[in-house]
Amino acid sequence: MPQQASAHHGVSGRVNGPAPARAASAPSPSPYPGPGPDPEVESGRLAAVRRYEILDTPPDGAFDRIAGLAARLFDVPVATVAIVDVDRVWFKAVHGLEGVTQIGRGPGLCASTVLRDEALVIPDTLLDPLASTNPLVTGPMGVRFYAAAPIVTSDGYRLGTVNILDTRPRVLTEEDVATLTDLAGIVMDELELRLSAIRTVRDERERREAERRHAEQERRRAERERAARERERAEREREQAARERAERDRAALASFASTLQRTLLPPALPAVPGLELACHYHAASADDVGGDFYDVFPVDDTRWAFFLGDVCGKGVQAATVTSLARNTLRAAAHHDADPLAVLGMLNTALLADVWAGRRYCTALFGLLTPDGDGTFSVTLASGGHPPAYRLRPDGGHGGVRVDAVRPEGGMLIGALPEARFAATAFRLRPGDGLLLYSDGLTEAATGPGTLLGEEGLAAFLAGRAAPVGAAELVRDTVGLLHSLPEGPRDDVALLALSVPLPGAAPHGTEAAAPTTAARETDDGEEHDRRDR
Amino acid sequence: MTDDFDLTVEHARDGDRTVVRVAGDVDLTTAPGLRAGVIDLIEAGHRDVVMDMSKVRFCDSTGLSALIGIWHHARQAGGALGLAVVPGRLQRMLSMTGLDTVLPTYPADAAGSRG
Repeated sequence: MPQQASAHHGVSGRVNGPAPARAASAPSPSPYPGPGPDPEVESGRLAAVRRYEILDTPPDGAFDRIAGLAARLFDVPVATVAIVDVDRVWFKAVHGLEGVTQIGRGPGLCASTVLRDEALVIPDTLLDPLASTNPLVTGPMGVRFYAAAPIVTSDGYRLGTVNILDTRPRVLTEEDVATLTDLAGIVMDELELRLSAIRTVRDERERREAERRHAEQERRRAERERAARERERAEREREQAARERAERDRAALASFASTLQRTLLPPALPAVPGLELACHYHAASADDVGGDFYDVFPVDDTRWAFFLGDVCGKGVQAATVTSLARNTLRAAAHHDADPLAVLGMLNTALLADVWAGRRYCTALFGLLTPDGDGTFSVTLASGGHPPAYRLRPDGGHGGVRVDAVRPEGGMLIGALPEARFAATAFRLRPGDGLLLYSDGLTEAATGPGTLLGEEGLAAFLAGRAAPVGAAELVRDTVGLLHSLPEGPRDDVALLALSVPLPGAAPHGTEAAAPTTAARETDDGEEHDRRDR
Repeated sequence: MTDDFDLTVEHARDGDRTVVRVAGDVDLTTAPGLRAGVIDLIEAGHRDVVMDMSKVRFCDSTGLSALIGIWHHARQAGGALGLAVVPGRLQRMLSMTGLDTVLPTYPADAAGSRG
């Protein structure tokens, strides 16, 4: 190729794609359009330039090959692929102008070509009014020949040119112009391919990013779900632990109740010279601490004290009152053994307690003084407690005479500051017995709507045989309780004292320390302690 | 006012007094409700209370505790608590515990005639 051809301006070049509407709407009357581009067209063109993301990119073999091909085809020293920016012509590829990357967007040459649809051929720049002032023409390069075909997008925007330059005037044939225009088309194809690749890569990158974000969201969601399951599991475990703890607490409380009951009761009754003692405790519930209490203890070298009481209510609060009552009675007796003074002291102590006015008890408190002849003088004080029963041989025929020992006027202990207590005195002779009990015994049901009551108890006791022994009396009374259809619904405490007949001593007080027997029954726990 | 298990309680003004009729069993399960109910009445200004016990079938030591608690409240409020138509067994408990010396008891007509 390059063939010499007569110069002709305004050669119609081919462009890729449909004819650009915008450019066509502003046909140029001369080879050179006006000094400035149409602002609207120019802004669309610049947007297209930006869209292809080609400006200021590194050299690219494909464009370099096109520039080289153009130089060889037309046998010119310089060929470039130029993109026209706002105020510069930037070379994507340069053949024959090493080191040049861009020039100013001066009039003529490239800047003019992008303002028209067809190729621009300037056979001799010195003969062209516009091109003759271009720096490439007037400068050291001394360009005398210039031909360029616009790089036109499918939507009609001219991004730049493929151009050829020579330092001597040239003439291009129509075929040459078509070839140059084809080269511009190839550049456009390359730009499209490149943009498509960029978009594909970008889309792929975005797709991966979206996938990554989605995976991240999935991971977080899974993490949240796992955490939620973990929380649920922890919650279930906490609930389970709480249930187990509650179970343990219940077991511990039952154990505590049982332990407390045992601590509230004397570990064993002491051996009192000349006396037989027996006691029994029936707990209505294994879980609930009852409020019954009793004890027998020495006051000094000769005298002994005994008591049996009943705290109103149940549970741990009642148990604390039980403990307070028991300890106060013992302490008070050592200070002043007078039973009335002892109950008065307990009344004061209970009223001073934090549960003052809410927790009170009934009690019998007795003082035993041996008379030296085998008999005991008894002073028995009552604080609102059911009567004790005194059993004596009746006329030597094996019968028993039963008397209620009921000090008149004794009031509930711990309920009222002005409480008064009452005491009575009597003697326990050989063959005599004394039974103290809590009202769980007399309030035990003997049938629908009927209770044992004091009358029932007195009648039962009257059926015993004289002489009455404490152990036997307690055993028989427990037997009575168990014979009742429903059994006692409240705790029952029993304490019996008896003075053995001289020489008989079947359950001699000289016997060893009291033994303790405990046995389970249907309705609760039994603590049976008796002195033989 | 209170209707716990086998216990019913109702009240009516009778001049300066308020008569509280108690019917049923006063025991571990019902006594707290009775106590709270009558104390509420006292706090509401019914300082002088007579409790009609004629319909009480059963009253154990927790019932007695409730009566003592109510009595304390009435006294602190500057009022008084009395009992009317006390069944024999409860009367014996009151007597045994000495509470009959601080809780005045009235025969039937004292509580019921106008209430």
